[in-house]
Amino acid sequence: MLLSEVGYARPASVDEAVRLLAENDGARPLAGGQTIVNVMKARAASPDVLVDLADLEDLRAIAKTGDGALELGAMATYSQVVTSPDVKDVRPMLAEVAAQIADVQVRNRGTVGGNICSNDPTNHLPPVMVAAGATMTIAGRDGEREVSAEEFFLGVYMTAVGPGELLTKVTLPARDGAGDGFAAITIGADGTCIVNAAATVSGGEARVALGCVSATPVLLTAAAEDEAVREAVGAAAIEPPSDVHGSADYRRHLAAVVAARAVADAKEGS
Amino acid sequence: MTTVAPDQVEAPQKGFAGTSIPRKEDKRLVQGEGVFFDDVKRHGMGYVHFVRSPYAHAGIVSIDVSAAEAVEGVYGTLIGEEVAAQTDPFFEMSTPPGNEIRDYALAVGKVRFAGEPVAAVVAETRELARDAAELVEVEYEPLEPVLDAVAAVEPGAPILHEEAGSNVVWSGTFEWGDFDEALAEADHVVKIDRLYFHRFSSTPLECAGALVEYDRGTAQWTLHCNHQMPGIGIVWMAPALRVGTDKLRIVTQDIGGGFGNKITLHPYFVALCLLARKLNRPVQWTEWRTDQHTANTHGNERTFLDVEVPVRSDGTMLGFKVKAFDDAGAFPRYEPLGCIIWAQVTPGCYRWRHVRVDFTQACTNKSPTAPNRGYSRMQQLWFTERVIDVVAHELGLDPVEVRKRNYIKAEEMPYETPNGCVYDSGDYARCLDIALDLVGYDSLEERRKEAESRGKLLGLGIGSTLDSGTNNFGQSQLLNPELQFSGNNEVATVRLDIFGEIVVTLGTTPQGQSHETVTSQVVADILGVTPDDVHVRAGHDSYWNSHAGFSGTYASQFAVTGLEAVKGATLELHSQIRRLAAVILGADGPDDIVLEEGMAKRRDMPEAALPFMACGAIINVNNAGLPPDLDDVTLNCRYVYRPPFQVPDHERKFGNLTLTYATQIHACVVEVDRETGVYEIVDYAAVDDCGTRIHPQIVEGQVHGATAHALGAATFETFPYDEDGMLLTSNFYDYHVPHALDMPPLKTGFIESPSPFSSLGTKGMGEGGGAGIHAVCAALQDALRPLGNPIVTESHNPYHRVWELIQDPAASRAGVEVSGT
Amino acid sequence: MEPVTSKTITVTVNGASYEREVDARRLLVHFIRDELDLTGTHIGCDTGNCGACTVIVDGLAVKSCMLLAVQADGASVETVESLAAGGELHPLQRSFSAHHALQCGYCTPGMLMSAKHLLDNNSEPTENEIRRAIQGNICRCTGYVNIVEAIDAAARGEVPA
Repeated sequence: MLLSEVGYARPASVDEAVRLLAENDGARPLAGGQTIVNVMKARAASPDVLVDLADLEDLRAIAKTGDGALELGAMATYSQVVTSPDVKDVRPMLAEVAAQIADVQVRNRGTVGGNICSNDPTNHLPPVMVAAGATMTIAGRDGEREVSAEEFFLGVYMTAVGPGELLTKVTLPARDGAGDGFAAITIGADGTCIVNAAATVSGGEARVALGCVSATPVLLTAAAEDEAVREAVGAAAIEPPSDVHGSADYRRHLAAVVAARAVADAKEGS
Repeated sequence: MTTVAPDQVEAPQKGFAGTSIPRKEDKRLVQGEGVFFDDVKRHGMGYVHFVRSPYAHAGIVSIDVSAAEAVEGVYGTLIGEEVAAQTDPFFEMSTPPGNEIRDYALAVGKVRFAGEPVAAVVAETRELARDAAELVEVEYEPLEPVLDAVAAVEPGAPILHEEAGSNVVWSGTFEWGDFDEALAEADHVVKIDRLYFHRFSSTPLECAGALVEYDRGTAQWTLHCNHQMPGIGIVWMAPALRVGTDKLRIVTQDIGGGFGNKITLHPYFVALCLLARKLNRPVQWTEWRTDQHTANTHGNERTFLDVEVPVRSDGTMLGFKVKAFDDAGAFPRYEPLGCIIWAQVTPGCYRWRHVRVDFTQACTNKSPTAPNRGYSRMQQLWFTERVIDVVAHELGLDPVEVRKRNYIKAEEMPYETPNGCVYDSGDYARCLDIALDLVGYDSLEERRKEAESRGKLLGLGIGSTLDSGTNNFGQSQLLNPELQFSGNNEVATVRLDIFGEIVVTLGTTPQGQSHETVTSQVVADILGVTPDDVHVRAGHDSYWNSHAGFSGTYASQFAVTGLEAVKGATLELHSQIRRLAAVILGADGPDDIVLEEGMAKRRDMPEAALPFMACGAIINVNNAGLPPDLDDVTLNCRYVYRPPFQVPDHERKFGNLTLTYATQIHACVVEVDRETGVYEIVDYAAVDDCGTRIHPQIVEGQVHGATAHALGAATFETFPYDEDGMLLTSNFYDYHVPHALDMPPLKTGFIESPSPFSSLGTKGMGEGGGAGIHAVCAALQDALRPLGNPIVTESHNPYHRVWELIQDPAASRAGVEVSGT
Repeated sequence: MEPVTSKTITVTVNGASYEREVDARRLLVHFIRDELDLTGTHIGCDTGNCGACTVIVDGLAVKSCMLLAVQADGASVETVESLAAGGELHPLQRSFSAHHALQCGYCTPGMLMSAKHLLDNNSEPTENEIRRAIQGNICRCTGYVNIVEAIDAAARGEVPA
């Protein structure tokens, strides 16, 4: 409940933020704080320095680009995603998913960047980004680089963002008639996910990303038909965890079900 | 001269009792001006953080607090050795070997559950106490834990309390009627290998805690806290601290929920008392959510083995036999009372006459248990309801008809159960009909088909339960004849102050049960004033001298014990006002005086009236010349309500254990997704009967809340442990409690069967009895019928459990057998 | 700019401005309760689930146990104590009382702030929208039945004087 001593800085620019992250060992970005503050309360991790990104207005922008892609600033909150006309226009499923995350208070603070970079296996956005084929923009001292979603998630709580770097933007490609879908089994209504899946369907083919069953989202491709999707999940080498909310077997079974439902959901939207 | 106050008074106005007046508590609470213990501050207070055991079972080799004490801003520490030197172990209620258990405020010599407090650090700020606690070095010698009550009593199981030499806290056999005769008479015997009621708790939102001050001059402690049973709390604490009970003053004002989880706080509070005295400063401790889940208390976990139910072909149940194993966790504190309290409702709602129960309570390396909402009766009622449901299921009988056939009937009330408890009143069949009607029972089959067309399985389940209230603590003697507890009591004072203000103090410790409001309704009706004229002091304070040994708010009794105390004190005040007024107004006698509109008036000459303010003034500051027979008129009346209990018969374990029995009958309609085991409650009705309702809205609120607790426990809430004895659900992520989106559409109905045993006809009803759990179990079993007839044998049925029942119905049926005799 | 372990912050709370030095690690809820003595905002858990600590920061309902006090530097905070302006109870407060939407009152301040945030942004919420708005506020006493009714009545302006 009570944090260890910590250093705090609130930079006014991305460059300043990157400098602070690079120069202070054990520095972490503070975005919405809806994950990191909990972690620090439990003292499961105690960063030495928090770099508060609250003043980096540029990182809050949500915009549709000229070629129909959707750019989400890393500091865009879930609430902003839910109400954004551009999200509704380009990638409405994203708003539907964001509306399911936690509760109003968390959505008012929690950010797209935070959800992606914390990469808790039960998070909603990592599978969505992988299924949609998103691209992450990372700023560092040497400038910006881009990493595809497929290569961004490295392990539990671990992503391609290294020390001294900062995720600034996530770009979802233009939909081009593809459909997006999402399905989850949760602890309580709209609660923490036990198993989830995001799907993007285009031309009879489905890209399905399974969440909660592995350290990182598991990407599968299959014909966008119920049986084919379930078979693909069955064939995937997933080792889901066993815990109080379900056994490994149960999660394996649910993974196939939510994958099929996500694909069905996506087909409806395409 | 003593006055015998009449039982009834003339009520000159329309009564406030029976109406839903605005609550007095609300004005401060909606403005955030309630005073919960953590809101209280004292100059120079130290904040306490406990160092807790990471092991479920371990010897303590050494504790070194020196590094913590060296930190600037740390005021001091406390360890088990000091506690053992300065206090005596808390008294134990059990018979040997359970009575040999030594329970102290901190772990002494060994730890027996993960999270058990081992040392305390006190510092200038909360954060500093937490930091310094990390510097306390404890060396442990891990031991093998035992985590199951049945395993704990097997030979070779690790022993928690060496001084007891056994993990058995208490064991005994209860036998009423003639079970062998029932077997002989039966057409069938239904056998169920195992039924299991799981560990969970009501997790009140406000955590436990206290701010404790010690006055060196008077050796007096004051605890600003949220203890919900201070009468007994002090009885535990005072001897342990080697002081008289008056040295402990417990003060509560607002408490953020209790549900029984704030009864056994005495170990923590004794540690705080020692610290306040040692450090000569006020000390404050606020429990964290994680602490409440791991190291406060859980509800009783009970395993029912080898169930046998002789039954006639028409579904008449003749009796039952069972071996019950109750898991008390690491320390029996309110236990072993759970070993008898279930017997308040031995047959549940049913007319069973032949009963045999072998009951064993054991210690395990888990959190100690406490009387969580429904304490011990809920477990028994779930058992009876599960049995009824399984028997009906297996014999192919209609679950509604079987219940009605076996329900105790309204015309049989008052009804004496096989062990001598008297059910006061009720009409279970009528409540059931109302519940079924509310969920559209007649259209059930249509709805089943419609659900099937959407790929869902629909099921209906009934949950019948009782809320037995106003304990006879003499039942403790059925466990241990040497115990000196029996009966019950509650206290209230009502006085007329100098300016005619009516002031009431209670011995209770409400945590949301609206005592100020309901009390004012009763007082207003008797004295002929409005509830706004009645000032009821908030909370509890030992210094008010309006409490007795059993004072507090627990076990569904305020509507009887609290209100009878209030009524008794108010009737006495009523009588005193009339006696005074008769003299002052020159009437023939007190019977010629009526109280109306805040005045005492002569019946024959209503314009001859003495306002209450005048009465108060005369007695308090203007009393010269009053006749001697008014010497005992003080207008300051204290009444101790004592329910009419006898000590139960030790030999036969027979007698009345509770005064009133409220009813709740629930009906639950679920839809199950066969692919995932996920289910949704699509319709729900809760029908209650708590006798006379003083404040209908408050009663209904209690029904809503009890239902939410039960539904949470049925689907989401559980306290499981891993094989090392670590609790797996120590926070609200994993221990999911229902939020507003989780609640089903909830319909309610009610009837009123006044209790013949309380003068207001009321019955305690705050606990509820867990009907939601019983109803969900039955609904799931009904829904899953087409998928191989799985039997629901556990109280907790999360989605993955339902999926398991769907995957392997035979496994759930393996332990159930029906034999013809 | 370098990181600091404590700093002086200026926060506007319920319309009044406060300048205080705080440790960077201090949670906003502890700042509100212990530093400013506004004890209406409550703590019910240690993982940001229960919502008892809900306040409104710069117009948004947030959990004050999930913010550091330093993050509120320059911000405007509203707590439950702001609702009864000039001694008059807010319609939501009156509605909660009329509908018996509180029993122990511990979740109530947070619940009221979430409800206020809802009604400030949505004057005709459906039942589902009301339930979603308070999904992050746990109550163990009421089962939410009366809370939902109270918010609904307040939204429709059907609140006793």
